[in-house]
Amino acid sequence: MFEKYSGIIPDFESFLKAVATPQPYWFRVNTLKIGEMELVSRLSDKGFIIERFRNLNAYKIESMPVKHPGATLEHSFGYYYVQDISSMVPAFVLDPKPGETVLDMAAAPGSKTTLMAALMKNEGSIVANDTRASRLRALGSNVERLGVTNVMITKGDARTMNFKNQYDKILLDAPCTGEGVIRKNPKHGMPGDREHRYFSQLQKSLIKNAWNHLDTGGKLVYSTCTFNPLENEEVVQYAVSKLKMDILPVEFPVPHVRGVSFWEGKDYTDISNFVMRIYPHLLNTGGMFIAVLEKR
Amino acid sequence: MQYLKKDDYRNYFRDVFGISEDILKNYHFYETRSSVWAYSGDIAPISEAEVVGVRALRVRNIIKPTTSFLRIIGKYATKNVIFVDEDQGMRFLSGESLSEICQSLKGYVVVRTASDVLGCGLCRDGILISQVPKKYRPDSTWL
Ligand SMILES: C[S@@+](CC[C@H](N)C(=O)[O-])C[C@H]1O[C@@H](n2cnc3c(N)ncnc32)[C@H](O)[C@@H]1O
Repeated sequence: MFEKYSGIIPDFESFLKAVATPQPYWFRVNTLKIGEMELVSRLSDKGFIIERFRNLNAYKIESMPVKHPGATLEHSFGYYYVQDISSMVPAFVLDPKPGETVLDMAAAPGSKTTLMAALMKNEGSIVANDTRASRLRALGSNVERLGVTNVMITKGDARTMNFKNQYDKILLDAPCTGEGVIRKNPKHGMPGDREHRYFSQLQKSLIKNAWNHLDTGGKLVYSTCTFNPLENEEVVQYAVSKLKMDILPVEFPVPHVRGVSFWEGKDYTDISNFVMRIYPHLLNTGGMFIAVLEKR
Repeated sequence: MQYLKKDDYRNYFRDVFGISEDILKNYHFYETRSSVWAYSGDIAPISEAEVVGVRALRVRNIIKPTTSFLRIIGKYATKNVIFVDEDQGMRFLSGESLSEICQSLKGYVVVRTASDVLGCGLCRDGILISQVPKKYRPDSTWL
């Protein structure tokens, strides 16, 4: 089913193998509530075997004494958040600082919102928005559980919503066809061309409204958890060519490759060397696409 | 929703739980119809916001602190704090009332173990009544 990407995904055989196997769980320590060492020692005492990734607050669970990684008191206290490392990267790359004003346009259930709040030490502001009521409830309970106090949650269509402020940084973790998380939710079927085109349009409208709300010199991280270039390089190229945004190279110490240069007759070489693609077989994670743009 | 800034609610946490100004000054308190929200952000809440920071108090009839906010600032409480052991803590989290624990305390208290704040309790007639919402109650399969 991923055959159409055999020409753009390096080491395609390993990729196919990875997506056919279950994905390990990762978590990060919620430093708003507890120190990394303390939580790690508490989970280890309970029989978790975990491995830290380099010097990042990102831990892979090698084995655990419970069925689900969230089935502990520590989780209920908001001391950690179960999140694939690939999903942490957009927030780390946006690198929000205490005191900054950040907009998270499609935020639910808040994996990246709560990570950004931790990086900001609950100082500064995050406006976290989504359209779907059920997902907003999940966002609200994650914010509450993790003790995030610098977030304001709004419900609206981020294509047209007036977010009332100009922002230093914006995360557009866009709605997408989710090919990169099929591994985690195998019931999520393979999308077709029509869906890729639909989402591509939606993503362009969203990035346009992100531009409206970004301060001059402000930084935008655009990310998706899908592979199709129409939802990735195409949208970034639109931001560069139509919105006149500058593209910056994404640097982050996780295994990745650069973007796709050619797809279905389109040439993305102007931006492909700046963006980052994380594939499931590189670090045994989900898939992610990340780009960094700046408003002139 | 209208969010009315009412930083006087800091006094509640200072008076009831003895939390220092140094901690409380990190939050602005905003009142809506039935809740008070603790918010450490610095852009003003917009009326479209559904949530602003963390709900700190329910204020419909009486003023009642939330477990969620006590889990954030309860570790700084110096008054109306009850320390329980792990076994008592699990029972409290599961919604059980505990007798012979409140001693002379009355009203809302911070309930904690040596390492964790468990949440809000109510001391009435010497009995500690758990106010921990269902969503925070542990499942029997949890560790
Ligand atoms: C990839 S998910 C976001 C995941 C989230 N950033 C996280 O890390 O937990 C995309 C989200 O976009 C939301 N969404 C879809 N259309 C939207 C729109 N027009 N405006 C705002 N959000 C939208 C979906 O409800 C979904 O929650």
